Formats: sequence, C-alpha cells, structure tokens
Amino acid sequence: MHEDKLEKLLRDTLQQEVSKERHYLDGLEKKIVAELTGQLPKRGWLQTLTQLFAQMQRSRRRQLTVIGITAVIFLFLGIFVSERVPLVRGLFSVYDKQQKATIATNSDEGQLLFVMPAPGAQTVAVVGSFNNWKPILLTDEDKDGIWLTNLSLPPGRYEYAFVVDGRWWGQDPLADEYVRSFGGYNSVRYVGYAGDKI
Amino acid sequence: MYHVQDEASLLRASLDGEVEAWGEIVNRYKEAVFGLCLGFLRNHADAEDISHDTFIRAYENLYRYRVEKRFSTWIFTIASNLCRNRLRYRRHHPIAPLPAQMEGGCNPATTIAQEDRQAQIRQGLSRLPYRYRTPITLRYYNDLSYHQIARILSLPEGTVKTHIYRGKALLRQEIGEMEVINHA
Repeated sequence: MHEDKLEKLLRDTLQQEVSKERHYLDGLEKKIVAELTGQLPKRGWLQTLTQLFAQMQRSRRRQLTVIGITAVIFLFLGIFVSERVPLVRGLFSVYDKQQKATIATNSDEGQLLFVMPAPGAQTVAVVGSFNNWKPILLTDEDKDGIWLTNLSLPPGRYEYAFVVDGRWWGQDPLADEYVRSFGGYNSVRYVGYAGDKI
Repeated sequence: MYHVQDEASLLRASLDGEVEAWGEIVNRYKEAVFGLCLGFLRNHADAEDISHDTFIRAYENLYRYRVEKRFSTWIFTIASNLCRNRLRYRRHHPIAPLPAQMEGGCNPATTIAQEDRQAQIRQGLSRLPYRYRTPITLRYYNDLSYHQIARILSLPEGTVKTHIYRGKALLRQEIGEMEVINHA
C-alpha cells in the first residue's frame, strides 16, 4: 500500500473511531465541574508562601521583611567572619587536626599533640611542666597559620602554655582544664589516665 | 461566559479556583484527549475513564503547568502517562475481548472496500505493540509534530520517527496478509 494512502487511512480510521464513540463524552465537562466544585488546584510551596505573604496585614508584612533581611545579613556576616578572621578559621582547623591526631595516637598512648593557631607569627613555642618550662618550638610546615608539635610524654598531669612571638598564651582551647598562675592562666592536659582526652 | 475567552485566561481563572473555566477547557480538549486514550488503549471504557482522570489530575496539578509551554502538550503528557499505567494494570487484570464494533471484523454486511480497510486498520492497531501505537495515534489522530510527540512520550525524536515507521510497516504487512486471507 502506498505511504500517503496508508496515512490517510490511519487518519480517517482513528477519527471515525472517535466520532463513533463521541457520545461517551457527552456531559464530561459538567461531571468534572461538579466533582471539582469547591476544590482549589494544589499549590507549589512557593505559591503558597507568596499567597500567605500577600494575605498578611501590611504592618505584619513589613515586620517579616525586616526580620528576613536581618537574618540574611547576619548569615552573610557569619560566613564572612568565619572566612576572614584568622582565629575563627584557625579554631576550625585546630579541631580538625586534633581529631586526626586523636585517631593517630590511639595506638600510641603518651603522644600529646600541641596545636596553636597563630597566622603571621614568627615563632610559636610551648612551655610546660614536662620540661621545666623550657620552650619547645612548634612548626607550621604547610604555612596555614596552624603551628603544631607532637611530644611523647609519660602518663601524668601537665601544665603548659604557648609563647607566641614572646607573648604568653595560657588558655589553649583544647586543654582539659585551666589553672591560675602568676596572675594569668596555664592550661592543663592529662596523659595516660582513664578518661583523658588524648 | 467562558466559551469566548482565550486559553490563557481560562487557565488563569482555573488556577484561581474557577471550575467553570476549567469546564470550558475540558470541553475544548475532551475529544482530543479521548481520541488519544482510545488510540492508546483500544478500549472505550478505559479511554473514557482515563480521559476523566486526566482532566481531574491536570486541574489538581495546574500550578505545575508553565504558560510558556503548549497546554495541549502538557495535558497529552498526563493522558499518556495515565494510559501507560492503565495498560500496566490491564496486564494483570485483563478484560473481555473488545466488542465487534471496535474490532471491526469481516462483517458481510459491510463489504464496502473503504470500511473493510478501516476495519483492518483497527484490527491492526489493536495488535500493534504499544510503543508503536502511541506515536502513531499522536501523529495521525492528534496531528502532532515529531518534536511534540517526543516530548509527550519522553523519547528522542529519532526514536519516535523509527517507531512510527516500523508501526506503519507492521500495519501494511498485516493488511496485506488479511487481504490475502479474504481473497482466498
């Protein structure tokens, strides 16, 4: 059969088939209208929010706008601060390194990691009761401002502090406790005892 | 009131909950949707059910419709998906054979050549695999372009063309065989 003839036949057949069955469609729109009366189309979450917002009183809408804008400003400020301020950024890195060190030292009790965030510092040292308060230099090999050293220590309680470019820094955020000493603070870490953090 | 309005206004009104406007949309598209369903399913009862469900489903999900797209393509896509689901259901819940009116058949009373041919086409369509039948219906009943058919069936345009070509080849073969049987 020729192509055009078959196509024409297909069209005619399908149309005739529908026209024969058309009576089934009588009143379909009325039936559907009756079924849907009182029912609203569903809404997407964005449309629902927009509609709620539009229905609010003007003063309420203004309040909500101010709260929203303030929240967004604080969010961006928080991101900016955490990215820009070295101490905040450093703290995150310190915790990360401390976590890695904890995993590394699990099989080797007595290893104590000292970490100090000090971007731009020339020298960072740790002094403590473990070596009669003589400075032990920390290193920053990857130049990310996080200085660290790992010391092998026998079990015990150790008081210590950092010295950053000659300035005493006695409150290590990773210490187990703090003690007052000569008008300042020293940090304390425990090694080898049950319940210690290393 | 609604019958004079353009499609976009009717859809906007429907979205605002004016079901009468949706009724006018149903009125305009019911035959096209029913024809599509009948072509796909080859059963008027199922086609009627699915046409009804299509309009209900489309109204409920009207917010998903994007005005920059053709409404016909969108509603045909819904109908096509519902038809596919119904066919899947029918695989496990088959119905009695179609009445002679739908199947056509070689009724001695209808010996006019054209009617015979149409009956053969109807029979051929019913036997045709679903993947060939759907694009053929959309092409020759709904008069859609290959591009629109491809969007409705979520198939590449090339695949649509191939399916239509193969479907027609199978139909031609079936008609040829039937003619041989009838002449014997």
